[in-house]
Amino acid sequence: MTLSYVLMQNLRRNPLRTALTGVAFALPMAIFVLAISTVVMLTKTAARIEQQLRLAVHHKAGITAFMPEGMRRKIEDLDPNRQRLLAVCAMRWFGGRIPDTPNPLMSLACDVDTFPTVYQDVPMTAAEVEQWQHERRAAVVGDGAANQYGWTPGSRVVLDSTIPPYQRLEFIVVKIIPNASPPNAFYLRRDYLLESLQARGLTGTGCNIFWVKCRSAAALRTLQKDIDALFANSPDETRSEDENAFIAGFIEALGDIPGLARVMATVVVFIIALVAGNTMMMSFRERIRELAVFKAIGFPSSRVFLIVLSESLLLALFGSLVGIALGVGFLLVPWHNPHSESISAPEVSWIAVLGSLAIGLTVGLVAGLWPAYQAVRLRTTDALRQVV
Amino acid sequence: MSAADIELVDVRKVYRKGRNAISALDGLSLHVASGSFVVIMGPSGSGKSTLLHLVGGLDAPTAGTVRVGDAQLEQMSERGLTAWRSRHVGFIFQMYYLVPVLTAAQNIELPLLLFHMTGKERRQRVRTALDVVGLSDRMDHRPSQLSGGEEQRVAIARAIVTDPDVILADEPTGDLDARTSEEILSLLSLLHAQYGKTIVMVTHDPRGAAHGQRVVHLDKGILDRDVQNEAHATTAAAPK
Repeated sequence: MTLSYVLMQNLRRNPLRTALTGVAFALPMAIFVLAISTVVMLTKTAARIEQQLRLAVHHKAGITAFMPEGMRRKIEDLDPNRQRLLAVCAMRWFGGRIPDTPNPLMSLACDVDTFPTVYQDVPMTAAEVEQWQHERRAAVVGDGAANQYGWTPGSRVVLDSTIPPYQRLEFIVVKIIPNASPPNAFYLRRDYLLESLQARGLTGTGCNIFWVKCRSAAALRTLQKDIDALFANSPDETRSEDENAFIAGFIEALGDIPGLARVMATVVVFIIALVAGNTMMMSFRERIRELAVFKAIGFPSSRVFLIVLSESLLLALFGSLVGIALGVGFLLVPWHNPHSESISAPEVSWIAVLGSLAIGLTVGLVAGLWPAYQAVRLRTTDALRQVV
Repeated sequence: MSAADIELVDVRKVYRKGRNAISALDGLSLHVASGSFVVIMGPSGSGKSTLLHLVGGLDAPTAGTVRVGDAQLEQMSERGLTAWRSRHVGFIFQMYYLVPVLTAAQNIELPLLLFHMTGKERRQRVRTALDVVGLSDRMDHRPSQLSGGEEQRVAIARAIVTDPDVILADEPTGDLDARTSEEILSLLSLLHAQYGKTIVMVTHDPRGAAHGQRVVHLDKGILDRDVQNEAHATTAAAPK
């Protein structure tokens, strides 16, 4: 038998109280892990989008309205020396899905020449860019869809469009985007789509959106105004939106999540500190004579201090680990539908995990300090005299 | 002075509660020879438990000296007293104070965690202590599975497992029925007679007095009577 065994057994002294205290630790910790992971995800997403400096230009009537592809040239001509913009990529919604499956992929037909420039966050090697440019059926796909359907580079994929004229096209995967956002992204070549339409006697070349890759945040802001001004009072009036502003607006619509998370974390720490402190004081008071006997049979005060403090830390560790496991488990379970994601799902954040553990142990330490100090100050004779 | 001689000289102990000073011992002098079995009796508040606590190094006298063997207790630090206590004194309490989540054997092993010895050595000592108190067959039982008498036997085994020189028992039969009390007192007599332990036992029970070689009566913190038990006259130590 060792002292650590005695400590573990002490936690079993009142199993219901230990379990309830553990749950009181675990649930706030799980919420803490989820909240912090969400904040970390949002922060990363915002940072990633902000770095991309992309402007989304769509029809003022809405994103489903087509705009003539010639508008790309007009946008480019706003900055002939390329001092403000890098490239413009026209996109058309394809709405493809695997035959006989219910959910469409986020499939977009893109300009072959400017896609690699506008989507620099899709890291393509020179060989992959060459494949993209020379293989008309080329497709760049998100890792979520690739993992779900078992695609690898070179895989042949058939998609049925879910919008008129509902054509079926075959693609060859040339690139799988790691950590794709969204994970079910599927980029195909717009010229390939247009050719398939022409083959069926259809001549529509309209685009749903022009992505304008800007050189700087300042350039993005001026271009945003210039583009909308350029097409003002035309049949195809535009509405230009900063990608970051759009996502940030979406996030803000959910509320001040980082602020809420900070408040939540403070409340969590406060609550579990009260719960743990109360439990440890109760445990101490129940065992006051037992601890006096420990001292009487020769346990030094330092050892008694460590016994009481370690119990608190063990309880905190137990509760925190359960809470972290719950939070991480919730994040790892594929509870979300990858086909409906517009931004990345929260991932397990090591900051949240380690932070939770640190907070849990700190609370355990603080909660155990007072009872441990009381145990040191405990006068053996006074404690024993209560009975004898 | 031999290893377990106990000597108190003009010991005073005053407890202060707010402005009130309560005198528990008022100039008590007492000598307990090594290997003797002394019973301390007296009414409540006479200073019996205080005497036991002073001899066990759990409390310090307000004045006077307390010597156990070579240890001058009033001069020792708390840390020194704690270390000394773990090696030289075994305590037995009225309410046993066993750890409820540990088995009988584990409770007995507790004081040995303070010693540098292997697990095998500890288990051997625990088995020996259990044999002495006659509870070898109950070693894996928890306190809740034991009777009051058995719990006190475990407490006695815990007190003797470190092979102390002195055993201090504070009302060891106070919570037991007559028959079980007699068993516990007989066990203490056995420890004294067979293993030569110096035993100082506080009790209200007159039957307990019969087991001691000497009965010291305290009253209001002073020595009232010091009576030699005739039945043990041949082995009794003379009062100072």
